[in-house]
Amino acid sequence: MYWGHSMNERERLLEAMKINKTDRPPCICPGGMMNMIVRELVEDKELTWPDAHIDGEKMAKLAIKSHRFGSFENYGVPFCMTVEAEAMGAEVSLGTIDTEPRVTEYCILKSEEYKNLKSINLNKGRAKAVLDAITYLKKQGGDIPIIGNLVGPISLASSLVDPMVFYKEMRKKPDEVHKLLDFVTEESLKFGIEQLKSGADIITIADPSGTGEILGEKQFATFVVPYLNKLIEGLENYKPKSVIVHICGRLKSVYKPLNDLKSGVISFDAITSVLQVKEFVKNKAIMGNVSTYTLEYGDSEKVEQISRKCVEQGVHILAPACGLGMGTPLNNIKAMKRGVL
Amino acid sequence: MKKTKEMLLNELKNCVVEMEDEAITCVAKEYIDCGYDAFDGVQDGLCKGMERAGELFEEEEYYIPELLICSDAMYEGIEVLKEHIVEDESNKKLRAIVGVVEGDTHDIGKNIYKIMLESNGFEVIDLGRDVSCEKFIETAKSEKVHLIGMSTLMTTTMKNMKEVIDTLGAEGIRDEIVVMVGGGPISRSFAETIGADGYERDAALAAKLAKDLVKAKCGNRIVLGA
Repeated sequence: MYWGHSMNERERLLEAMKINKTDRPPCICPGGMMNMIVRELVEDKELTWPDAHIDGEKMAKLAIKSHRFGSFENYGVPFCMTVEAEAMGAEVSLGTIDTEPRVTEYCILKSEEYKNLKSINLNKGRAKAVLDAITYLKKQGGDIPIIGNLVGPISLASSLVDPMVFYKEMRKKPDEVHKLLDFVTEESLKFGIEQLKSGADIITIADPSGTGEILGEKQFATFVVPYLNKLIEGLENYKPKSVIVHICGRLKSVYKPLNDLKSGVISFDAITSVLQVKEFVKNKAIMGNVSTYTLEYGDSEKVEQISRKCVEQGVHILAPACGLGMGTPLNNIKAMKRGVL
Repeated sequence: MKKTKEMLLNELKNCVVEMEDEAITCVAKEYIDCGYDAFDGVQDGLCKGMERAGELFEEEEYYIPELLICSDAMYEGIEVLKEHIVEDESNKKLRAIVGVVEGDTHDIGKNIYKIMLESNGFEVIDLGRDVSCEKFIETAKSEKVHLIGMSTLMTTTMKNMKEVIDTLGAEGIRDEIVVMVGGGPISRSFAETIGADGYERDAALAAKLAKDLVKAKCGNRIVLGA
């Protein structure tokens, strides 16, 4: 509860997530799909990509560096959305100093082969690196909120089986799709809870392949909402009010099912207007939606102006609308933060 | 009783629209058995169906899963009809390459665009995902294409589209090729800024525009069959 004192970064974010009064809105970048690392931070090659995707301590240190020089008011790890898919068997290219890791080979041909998928091993590989990073960040102490990340069920499933096959199976073999989604949701939940146990304050779930634009209202309600809710309930059962859900693309076809989402916070793309979300989505904290294109290519005045506008329109949490481009100047991130000051 | 050509063309079209990707094979065979022209079957049956599916997509009646199954039905139909198509100069195709620019592996938009281009009479070479600037340029030259379509879903990779356009200029072939860009973060103003010829938010509309742009820009080369 806000009593008029100036809040620390963790208090401010956690209260904003509950739509409680805060001294001002927080300005964050959660990590995962909404990556918080830019080229200026890795240029000196001391802490760099792809190293920091593999080594937990480097991942943590890079997140700390981003907090220190960037001015987002949180730590966010990992910096990509391939950790779960790789742990379950997909082939991943870790990218370079300025391209993100990405899935290069799917590991099953159709949804019904979900039985051939591996369970996420939390004691090895990059899943362990993420947990190590969170543990390291937690050990630093302090008042900076730590955000862990999960890839949403549709995006994870379609990193394991070719999306062209997966989307068609939604209509042709819905039962098999549900079984695959059940499996990946269980696996994600296990990984998410472990992130909370390691010290994450918040988990952000982003599901860019499971949007209303791609699926339409009916399929969004059938294949997206129930699995996101399963994740949210599982995570919040362990730690109440700890989940942010990010939905990409235009939301207009899915405002109705969005209200059935059990997360207290919803984050969205720059293409969707804050005012419209506020009108159609009730009882949720609204997070967004500074254009990452403007952040990367615009000047700092413009960035500050659109950030201020987001706040005026009533976002509870100011954040980029998508993942930051690597070329985003740190100066523009600072300009974004001026929007909440 | 033997069905009329119109009846069967209509059935082919409906199979595509109604996502009948199995039943369509029988209809296509029946059409051929009746001795009707295979090229018309593709053009006035299957492609008409895909065009209608594209409209339903624009109207938000259909979404990606539906559109993908419609296209499967269209390709199943083409599979039956294609060996009966008599090569004819007037069927000369428009040639295009499509790909997702380097650094991005999202390709749903590109796939839909490709499908719609094919149903608009293009012969399409799909360079896939994560395509480098050199690959676009090299293929555009060797295949003498009329159209390059590039897509991305990530803001981070948008600058690579400009690189392709600039390189086409440096190679002196920019005036011969229509360039279209698309994908989630791309806007019309971005497309104009980097000097692309065209942009549409919707892949189905983009394919129609592609045809118009190519006819306007490369009309002579197509008539000559170059």
